[in-house]
Amino acid sequence: MKRLKILTVCGFGVGSSLVLKMKLDELLKEEGIDAHVETADVGSASSTPCDVIFTSKELSEKLINSVQVPVISVSNFIDKNEIKEAGLEKLHELIKE
Amino acid sequence: MAQFIERSNIRLQQTADNWEDAIRQSGLLLLQNHSIDFEYINEMVKAVKTLGPYMVIVPHVALGHARPGKHVKKNDISLLTLKKPINFGSEHNDPVNVVFSFCAEGNEGHLQVLKKLGLLLDDAHIMQIIQESSDLDQIDRLVNEEMDK
Repeated sequence: MKRLKILTVCGFGVGSSLVLKMKLDELLKEEGIDAHVETADVGSASSTPCDVIFTSKELSEKLINSVQVPVISVSNFIDKNEIKEAGLEKLHELIKE
Repeated sequence: MAQFIERSNIRLQQTADNWEDAIRQSGLLLLQNHSIDFEYINEMVKAVKTLGPYMVIVPHVALGHARPGKHVKKNDISLLTLKKPINFGSEHNDPVNVVFSFCAEGNEGHLQVLKKLGLLLDDAHIMQIIQESSDLDQIDRLVNEEMDK
């Protein structure tokens, strides 16, 4: 199984992306998925190597054209169920690759 | 950590004309606490204008901030609640009646504060009290004492 590198993205890479990273880390632990989560700002996200990006709805629209990896958008950064529904399937897919 | 949100950085049930006014009011609390210079507030507003309302990270709650460094004197966080909710233009999370604004000197120092904020946002009971209360003592106690237990 491959170790995923996940990027959480917000405007400056220091606020909401950190909150999202915390929740994502919790989810990954629960699901037993081996992954490393880093935060990035929206400007540097496209030049940061990763397997998948998690971000807000607003920023995903900006990112989707500039990155090659899947972009998963979440509207409530603290809602683990939403994060799970939005991204879990994709994460399992990526691990298998 | 001594305190999560300093008492003087908390303002409850205020009135704001629009999202920009709300962000500026919450930023002013950081300015009054000598944690930022004025330009930081402009940067916070600019961020919403250029990047959209992504700072409304959970329903009814905005997390205002700008880039760490330059305009920041120390790590800090403020809390502003609004009597009348306002729209940021967030498709899923409007209207907003709670605005946290924070500033960070670097990329790491404010991690503890944000961890606490994460716990706070996750607690529906506490968040409801924060949204509704006009009692500064109650909120001060809630965020600075009871959360540590």
